[in-house]
Amino acid sequence: MIKRPFLGWFVSPAGLVALGLTAAMAAVFQFSLRVYIPGSLDVGGFTLQNFAAMLRPLYALAFWNTILLCFETAASTLILAYPLAYALVRTRSSAVRSFILIAAVTPLFLGEVVRTYSWMIVLGNNGFLNTLLVKLGFVERPVQMMFTAGGVIAALVHVTMPIMVIMLAAGLSHIDRNCEKAAESLGAGPIRVFLTITLPLSMPGIVAGFSTAFAWTFSAFATPQLIGGGRVSTVSTLIYQLGFSSFNFPFAASLSIIGLALSLAVIALLKQATRPLERLASAT
Amino acid sequence: MLMHTDRMGATAGSEAGRQGQPAVQLDGVTKRFGNSVALHEAWLKIQPGEFMTLLGPSGCGKTTLLNLVAGFLEADGGEIFIEGTLVTETPAHQREIGIVFQNYALFPHMSVANNIAYGLKTRGIDRKQIARRVDEALALVRLDGFGDRKPRQLSGGQQQRVALARALVIKPKVLLLDEPFSALDKNLRGSMQVELKQIQRELGVTTIFVTHDQGEALSMSDRIAVMSAGRIRQIAAPGDVYRRPADRFVASFVGNVNVLAGRLVERRGEVATVSVGDMRLEVPAAPLAKLAIGDDVDVFIRPEHLAVTSGRTPGSLCGTVTTQVFQGDHIDLYIDITGVARAPVLLRAPGIAALSSCPAGADVGLTVGSDDVVAFPPEAREP
Repeated sequence: MIKRPFLGWFVSPAGLVALGLTAAMAAVFQFSLRVYIPGSLDVGGFTLQNFAAMLRPLYALAFWNTILLCFETAASTLILAYPLAYALVRTRSSAVRSFILIAAVTPLFLGEVVRTYSWMIVLGNNGFLNTLLVKLGFVERPVQMMFTAGGVIAALVHVTMPIMVIMLAAGLSHIDRNCEKAAESLGAGPIRVFLTITLPLSMPGIVAGFSTAFAWTFSAFATPQLIGGGRVSTVSTLIYQLGFSSFNFPFAASLSIIGLALSLAVIALLKQATRPLERLASAT
Repeated sequence: MLMHTDRMGATAGSEAGRQGQPAVQLDGVTKRFGNSVALHEAWLKIQPGEFMTLLGPSGCGKTTLLNLVAGFLEADGGEIFIEGTLVTETPAHQREIGIVFQNYALFPHMSVANNIAYGLKTRGIDRKQIARRVDEALALVRLDGFGDRKPRQLSGGQQQRVALARALVIKPKVLLLDEPFSALDKNLRGSMQVELKQIQRELGVTTIFVTHDQGEALSMSDRIAVMSAGRIRQIAAPGDVYRRPADRFVASFVGNVNVLAGRLVERRGEVATVSVGDMRLEVPAAPLAKLAIGDDVDVFIRPEHLAVTSGRTPGSLCGTVTTQVFQGDHIDLYIDITGVARAPVLLRAPGIAALSSCPAGADVGLTVGSDDVVAFPPEAREP
């Protein structure tokens, strides 16, 4: 056994954070099992009623809408990010590489609120995009983009883009270029090489990027709240309303627990799907 | 085995042979990367069914040449013909070439059978025929029954066989082998070399083999193109490359060789006479054409062409044994010959007699027992 004298010290800050996080999660879990007393911040005895209430159409629909929104966001990000990641990995020019990297990663460094407000400026009825469309004569009147699911997705794609590009690029860079060359020599044109070799072999990166984008979108709050303006309701905006408008902490807590469980389930499912997806893509 | 040969072996090579075209022809092909010339005006004709080896140290341009034939690189000058058809501008996927990479590059997400079937599927061949030809190809490389395995479940040697089957099943016009043995351990390498050579001969497929291993090149090739610094230095049969190297690079890269300091004594037509100490040797005159009588020359002698003489015979060299290395079937003697060779001269004595007769420190006489001695101008004089 090698002696690592400072290991305990090095690990302790992260250990403390983990401990705090676990305690917080335990508290949320504990709250989710309590009875809500209207008009009071205190909670009553233990009950499973909060979870039963979630089966009501209003809440079930919010979950369904959120999952849909997450899928649409993750899918849009994937489609937009794949060419970028491909160019990032395959370009021979270091200038192109730097440009893509900077352009793709910058959103990570913008604050969530700043980023969301700039999207409001772009998407608003008198915003940049509508002014442009009207001036160019594509539309007569401004198109409603604020307070729609489409607007929320556009802003969320911006958030998930960097992580998707990075994960796809990591996946793509692990592909043996000789495999593509071998396929080429065996008579496969560029499209066939991409569909039968490159795409299936980049599936681990796709699944990792997709799951991360999905999980980030699921927990996103400021973007759906501000751009959705209450008209796009997701699990996180619902939790906010219940917790901080109605002060129904127990129900907000149970929503959080189910939301967490659901996104973990989706990620696990996606991970399971890697192999079959690879096979599907290579069967062509 | 023979049955497979009949079906798979009708390669395009023999058809081209009827037409009298070389299977592969390079006319002054040049490739540059930025300012450096990776391949300088390569001229090469490979006959149908021939096993041609590109031999040279890393960075000599042999892999560049291979990639140009495969179509993975575009030539900056010159033309490439495959079976008489100009393919310089043809993309790789239309060249009908089989290639085996150093790392095999099997498709990791496909079964062995699907790996082999890949090239047949791209050609739109019907399922039944694909299944039959995949089975034949598996039998050819002695991997019957391995079709359902994934590449990662196979050993290195088995993976290489799959790569070979995948390249051969499409009946390629040319088979390209890019250092295919370098990832295998030594014992396996030897048996794979024999097997590959056997398959190649049975199918009669034109093959270009890239290697930096001169032993591999000498043992497998019909002809060898020795390359260095982006140029083809010599194209000849293995025996000729070994016995009559075209320049000092080829002489020192292929096989072991001793370089002795000599002097040009006489020139008569094709043959020149050089002196090394008291010894006189006849060498080909061509490489020494630019020298005057009395000029310094470097004389290249193979270790196995030197012999130890008992006592002092006139016209022999004198030296002192510095080291004796027992190699089993022969003995390597390192002999110090002051004034003639800078480093101790290596002598390969067959049998084990030299073990007792030439101990370290013994004074011995040396003679040359072969005509295969060559001489080149000293390094500085070479253009």
